[in-house]
Amino acid sequence: MITLSGIRNAIWCVVAFGIVACAATPMPSDKLAVAKSSVDRAEQAQAGQFAQGELTSARNKLAAAQAAADKHDADVAARMADQAQVDAQLAEFTARAKQQEQLAAQMDASLDDLRHEAQRNSATAAPPAPAPQSPPPQ
Amino acid sequence: MKRTLPGYLAIAASAALFIGCQTAPKDEGIIVEARDAVSRAESDPDISKYAPTELTRARQFLTNAEGAAKSKGARSPDAAHYAYLATQTARIAEQRAHEQVAMAHIKAGETERQKILVSARENETQRAQADAQQARAESQNARAETQNAQAQAAQAQAEAQRLAAQLENVQATQTDRGMVLTLGGDVLFDSGRASLKPGAQRSIEQIASFLEEHPDRRVQIEGFTDDQGTDDYNLELSQKRADAVAMAIIQRGIEAQRVQATGYGEQYPKASNNSAGSRQLNRRVEIVVGKDNQAIPARQPPVAP
Repeated sequence: MITLSGIRNAIWCVVAFGIVACAATPMPSDKLAVAKSSVDRAEQAQAGQFAQGELTSARNKLAAAQAAADKHDADVAARMADQAQVDAQLAEFTARAKQQEQLAAQMDASLDDLRHEAQRNSATAAPPAPAPQSPPPQ
Repeated sequence: MKRTLPGYLAIAASAALFIGCQTAPKDEGIIVEARDAVSRAESDPDISKYAPTELTRARQFLTNAEGAAKSKGARSPDAAHYAYLATQTARIAEQRAHEQVAMAHIKAGETERQKILVSARENETQRAQADAQQARAESQNARAETQNAQAQAAQAQAEAQRLAAQLENVQATQTDRGMVLTLGGDVLFDSGRASLKPGAQRSIEQIASFLEEHPDRRVQIEGFTDDQGTDDYNLELSQKRADAVAMAIIQRGIEAQRVQATGYGEQYPKASNNSAGSRQLNRRVEIVVGKDNQAIPARQPPVAP
C-alpha cells in the first residue's frame, strides 16, 4: 500500500541516507595531507639513503591513495593514506636510528683513540711505576 | 531496494580482489604476522622504555585488526589494513628504541670523553706542578750556591784587602788573576842583592800568616827590575828575589806547592824607566793571591814595544 506520505517518507529516507553516506565517507584529504607530510619528513631524515625500501613503499602508497581519491574511492584512499603514513614513519625512524647508530660507532672509535692516547701520555710522562711487590714467601 | 544473491557475491568477490591487491600476504597470515611483531616488541625492554606510545598504538591496531577479523572476516580489507598498521607501528617502535638506545650510548660516551679529558688534564696539571716544584727547588739550590759563592768571594776579597791594609809600603790591586800586592823592591832588598832586608820580615810574616789562615789559597811571587844593567842579569836577579820571597814564606810553614816564584826582569814595567822615581816603581815584587783554590793564571806575554 503506497501512500503519499509513504512515498514522502521514502524520499526523506533516501535523502537522509545520501547525507549520511556522504558524511561517513568524505574524501580523506586530511589523511592524505598527513601522509604527504610524513613522506616529506622521512625524506628530510635521509630515508632515501638509510631506508630506501620503506620510503619507496610510502611513496607508492601515497600515490595509490591520491589515485583512489581522484576516483572518489574514499575507503581505499583513507587506507592507502594511513599505510603510506606508517611506512613513511617507519622509513623516518629507521633512517634516524641508523644515523644515530653510526654516530655511536664513531663515538666508540674516537673514545678508544682518546683512551689510548691518554694512556700513552700518562705512561710516557708519569714517574716510573713502583716496582711490583715481591711475591709472598711460600 | 533489494539486492540479489549474485549481487552480494559480486561485492564480496571485488572486496576479496581488493585485499589481494593492496596487501601481499593473504588472509589470516597478516594478522598472525602482526601479532608476532607486537608481541616481539612487547618483550623488548628497550621498546617499553623508549617507545611506549608507539607500542600502545601498535597494540591498538592489532586489537582493531582482530576485531575486524571477527566481525567482518579475516579476509576483510579492514582486518588486513589494521594488521598491516599494527606490524608497521611495532617496527616503528623498534626503530625508535634503536635510535634512543644509540642516543643514550652517545650521551654516555660524551660523559666518558669528558671524564677522560678531565683526568688527562689533571694528570697534566699534576705533572706540571711537580715539574714546577722541582724547577723551583733546583733554582733555590742554584741561588743558594750562587749566594754562597758570592759570600765566599766577598769574604776572600775583604780578607785580601785587610792583608793589604796591614802591609806597609804595599799597593793592592784587584785583577782578573786575583789580588795583586805590590811591594817596593827597595824596601825588601838592597841594591843588586837578592837577600831580604831585615825590615822585609814583617811583610813576609803577614803574608805567611794570611796563607796559613786560608789553606786553599795559592800565591805567585813575581820579581821585576828596572832597565839598568843587562837583560840576563836583571832576569836572574828578579828570579832570585822572587825565589827569596817564596823561600821566606815557605820557611814560615806554607806548603811549597802553594807558592810559585817567577822572575820577569825588565819585562812588564810599571813606568817609563826615564827617571829615578819611575825606575824605583819598576823595581818591585808582586804577590798575586789566588781567588780560590785554583791555580793562578799565567801573565799575558808582554806587549811588544
